[in-house]
Amino acid sequence: MIEIRKLTKSVPTSEGTLTILNAVSLAIAESETVAIVGASGSGKSTLLGLMAGLDAATSGDVLLGGHSLAAMDEEQRAVLRGQIVGFVFQSFQLLPSLTALENVMLPIELKGDDQAREKALSLLERVGLGERVTHYPNQLSGGEQQRVAIARAFATEAKILFADEPTGNLDTATGSKIIELIFDLNKEFATTLVLVTHDERLAQRCGRIVRLIAGEIESDTGAKLTSRDDAVENASV
Amino acid sequence: MSSVLGQGESSESALALDDGSKSVGTLLGLASRLLWRDWRSGELRLLFLALVMAVTSVSGIALFTDRLEKALLLESANMLAADRVLSSGRVLPEDIFMEAQSQGLRTARTLSFTSMAFSDAGNMLVSAKAVSDTYPLRGEMIVADAPFIRGAPIASGPQPGEAWLESRALPALGIEVGDTVYVGEADFTVSKIIIAEPDRSGGGMLDNAGPRLMIHMDDVEKTNVVQLGSRVSYRFLFATDEMPLLDTFEAWVGETFEGEYRLRDVRDESQEVSEALNRAESFLLLGSLFAVLLAGVAIALTAKRYSERHYDYVAILKTFGCTSRQIGFIYLCIQALLAVVAIGVGSLLGWAVHHVILRALQAVITVDLPAAGFEPFVVGALTAVICLLSFALPPLLALRETPPLRVLRKDISQQTIGDSVPYIFGVGGTIGLVLWYSQDFVLTAVLVVAVASIGLLLSGMSYALLRSSSAVGMRAGSAWKLAMSAARRRRKQNVLQVMVFSITIMSLLILGLLRSDLISDWQAQLPEGTPNHFMMNISQPQIDGIESFFEENGVQGNAFYPLISARVTKINGAEPDPQDDLDTDAERGTLAGGAQSDDEDEEQTKGAARVGLGIGYGQGDAADSQTAEASSDNAEEADEGAVRGRLSRRQVTWAQDLPADNRVTGGEWWSEAAAPGFVSIEEDYADWLDIELGDIVEFEINAQTVSAEVNSFRSVRWDNMQPNFFIIFSPGTIDHLGATFLSTALMESEQKVLLNELVKRFPTIVVIEIDALIEQIQNIIAQVTSAIELISVLVLVCGALVLLACVNATLDERFYENAILRTLGAGKKLIMTSLLIEFASIGLMAGLVATLGAEASLYYLQEQVFEQEFNLHYWVWVAGPLAGMLIIAGLGVNSTRGVVSISPLNVLRRLN
Repeated sequence: MIEIRKLTKSVPTSEGTLTILNAVSLAIAESETVAIVGASGSGKSTLLGLMAGLDAATSGDVLLGGHSLAAMDEEQRAVLRGQIVGFVFQSFQLLPSLTALENVMLPIELKGDDQAREKALSLLERVGLGERVTHYPNQLSGGEQQRVAIARAFATEAKILFADEPTGNLDTATGSKIIELIFDLNKEFATTLVLVTHDERLAQRCGRIVRLIAGEIESDTGAKLTSRDDAVENASV
Repeated sequence: MSSVLGQGESSESALALDDGSKSVGTLLGLASRLLWRDWRSGELRLLFLALVMAVTSVSGIALFTDRLEKALLLESANMLAADRVLSSGRVLPEDIFMEAQSQGLRTARTLSFTSMAFSDAGNMLVSAKAVSDTYPLRGEMIVADAPFIRGAPIASGPQPGEAWLESRALPALGIEVGDTVYVGEADFTVSKIIIAEPDRSGGGMLDNAGPRLMIHMDDVEKTNVVQLGSRVSYRFLFATDEMPLLDTFEAWVGETFEGEYRLRDVRDESQEVSEALNRAESFLLLGSLFAVLLAGVAIALTAKRYSERHYDYVAILKTFGCTSRQIGFIYLCIQALLAVVAIGVGSLLGWAVHHVILRALQAVITVDLPAAGFEPFVVGALTAVICLLSFALPPLLALRETPPLRVLRKDISQQTIGDSVPYIFGVGGTIGLVLWYSQDFVLTAVLVVAVASIGLLLSGMSYALLRSSSAVGMRAGSAWKLAMSAARRRRKQNVLQVMVFSITIMSLLILGLLRSDLISDWQAQLPEGTPNHFMMNISQPQIDGIESFFEENGVQGNAFYPLISARVTKINGAEPDPQDDLDTDAERGTLAGGAQSDDEDEEQTKGAARVGLGIGYGQGDAADSQTAEASSDNAEEADEGAVRGRLSRRQVTWAQDLPADNRVTGGEWWSEAAAPGFVSIEEDYADWLDIELGDIVEFEINAQTVSAEVNSFRSVRWDNMQPNFFIIFSPGTIDHLGATFLSTALMESEQKVLLNELVKRFPTIVVIEIDALIEQIQNIIAQVTSAIELISVLVLVCGALVLLACVNATLDERFYENAILRTLGAGKKLIMTSLLIEFASIGLMAGLVATLGAEASLYYLQEQVFEQEFNLHYWVWVAGPLAGMLIIAGLGVNSTRGVVSISPLNVLRRLN
């Protein structure tokens, strides 16, 4: 479902070029659940952003659902995101001027789906916010906001769900509930889940943990699947 | 497969995608929902308000000026009893009359002459006027059945065999309504009393020599009064409700008679009305330009803030699959929708505003207003579109470039097109808009130069600030330091903010000062108690008698000016060599508005009424000179004859004291013990003849030669409708040469009957009545004044909007910084004081720059556009900066007050 090939991201700084990701390769199969962990500044979020097509790599390529991101411009990546990718963010990223319902409806509407309202309502119901659909984000608690964000992420029935520190802004108890919710829905929708987290509990719930240090993969619990190229090469040997 | 992937294409097992295109309907729907949600959340309100304000002020002012101008023209047309008039002392070509009728114009004709009217009991000199059936074409005759009572309008003039008389003629002739009056060889039955006649003030000397006697045109012949060579004034009157017809006809007259005849409108007729109208138009134009400019700035500011607040929005939309193009489309739709609604609301409000203005003016607008055209709405709508395109589009389009990665990393900088680009666009848009709206390069240039100078000035100031601030930190030690470091940290923003504030304050200052200067100028021009009757041809022995007559009857009389006809023959012993350029202020001020007319008496009366010049009634020379001057107003019409005419005769005077409304501009006015032999000359006239102080000028006066040394130049207020002179001698210089005297008096309408007695007691004097003219001018000026006041208020509202928008524009950052400061333990008092100091210093600087800019612009506007004298407004140099400081500090602190009342956590959460 996702294949990363020698992905490098470097940015110019006043002290010369800073390499955030250094030739990272990784393959993630359909329906797999992967946690990317590592210290602050290890390149986790950068990797997530590149995998999701939110940013362009300096070199290397990402195949998302079989589509090469390197060959795409931002316009094409946007189309791809809209059709196969869903997101959950640490800071929820709900639009403050929209109600919970409207926030969930937004991506469905963007797809041109007439059933936006019905689908959004049923998803909000599913995340336990059926009573609060007309509330604005600032009228909801952090946990509730993240539930809305989760409903929104699943609203377009995306094939891949990217989550960036989904529990990072929540207390432990609320975080646990959110984790349950994500995994329940993930199972329900058979989504491929890639999440970046500091939260060990959350990482442990995933089928595979990739640990980054200074822009390189330090360990990968599903190492045999690291690269399909390697697999191909191994097979050919 | 790896090689295929390596080329960056999709693998065969790739998930199927559609092309990602969303139907226009979907995007439109999304745009309208976004618009609605933004509206509901209040995000759009200020932008919308700014747009509505732009449309409202522009369409409101355009509607108002459109209708007011039509109304004023209509009302002033009453002064002519027609839209256009052709007049001459000779018989007018009948072709012109026929052609006008065939072109569909309404026509009438009048004939004025002076004659003695007789009754069985007495006789008197009357200003007779014969009118055709259709007279008057504009305005109305008010008549009554008895003298000295209120009358009622009547549709047309007297029928054959009837004569209508003005009230005061009846006691003088000792008759009553129904009696007979004789003019020449004909007799008439007095059937009505004339209370008011529309073009009474617009007539010539022949119309002002005595009370009116009006008869039917067909009766002229049987009086046998008008003979070849009689002094008469023929007039053709034209009117139509379709203005283009007039233009066509005017062009036809010009072409057919090669400039020999020129139609006159009210602007030619009355210098004062024309000047008031022109100034009012310039002011209204300027006012609406400022309104557009300010609304534009408000739109730019609010759009910028709106787009900044939408970065996250767009990042999320992009994350969910919206392409840049779709984002662009969505925001274009939002703008378009916004524009449509704003144009609708603004047009309605504009309509309401102009009605409010009209209602306020109800008392002074005495004519029915013509319906408004559609044009003002188009102007308003176009303004909104241009404002949006130039002010709001750039920041909104910059939204397209928002990187989606922003959803993960807030600190990712917005790939904007640069902070200055929207302003550059805005400036370009403004210049275009101003130029298009004013069709006036001078006004546009003044505005652009004023704004550009402010920009330059501020760049310099910010540079100086930059140099002086070595360390920039928070410096949270004291409120003062905190404020100063904050001001420096936001230097770029603050310079922009000061710029916007100063442009706003400058606009308001310019308009406010111009307004009060214009109004006080008008009030000074014709103050209450302006004398409204001229008496001429007074001999020295009559002066005491006239003075005591006025005293007995409670009439306010004035000084007697000696009057004598003089001609400049030599300057320093050489023939005078006048400059070619005839278009001096004095020319514009003194002479009838460029009419090519051979209706001498008429010109002469105007000269008298306007400036008290060329007054000797019946003095051929003076009349010639007046006519020549009148016809030479336009430089292209100037010819040798005109120059000779202007040189040939001047009505001059002598005086001990400098006349009121005169100002010495060079040399000195003579002292009490002045020796004879000095002369003071009006500055433009001196300029025209190339006369210097100390020159010896030789005059021919009553066949004698008189020399005098020029010892002062004067500026003269030509529009005050009082006696004014180009040339004034020191006492004793020409006293012995024989002069008649001129004086003025204020007579209220109920005192007018005294004129009979005055003329009876002093039969040689000539009285010219300009009371109707003065009243009409005062009326028009009152209207224009109210209009100006209201426009000023409208612009003030726009200005307030800009100030609010500008303060709001940097609100987020201030909130954020101060929330952090509070988190770190800064006290409420420290923060509020620092904010107060920061805003106050911004306001102070803006006020100072604005004052500077306003005075500079005013200097140019008053000298060039409004033809007013510019004086520094000293109090503004204190009030401007002070007001800037108070207003900006007040607004700023009020808007940011929340930062100390909301918990810092809430602020930080809200902004994250």
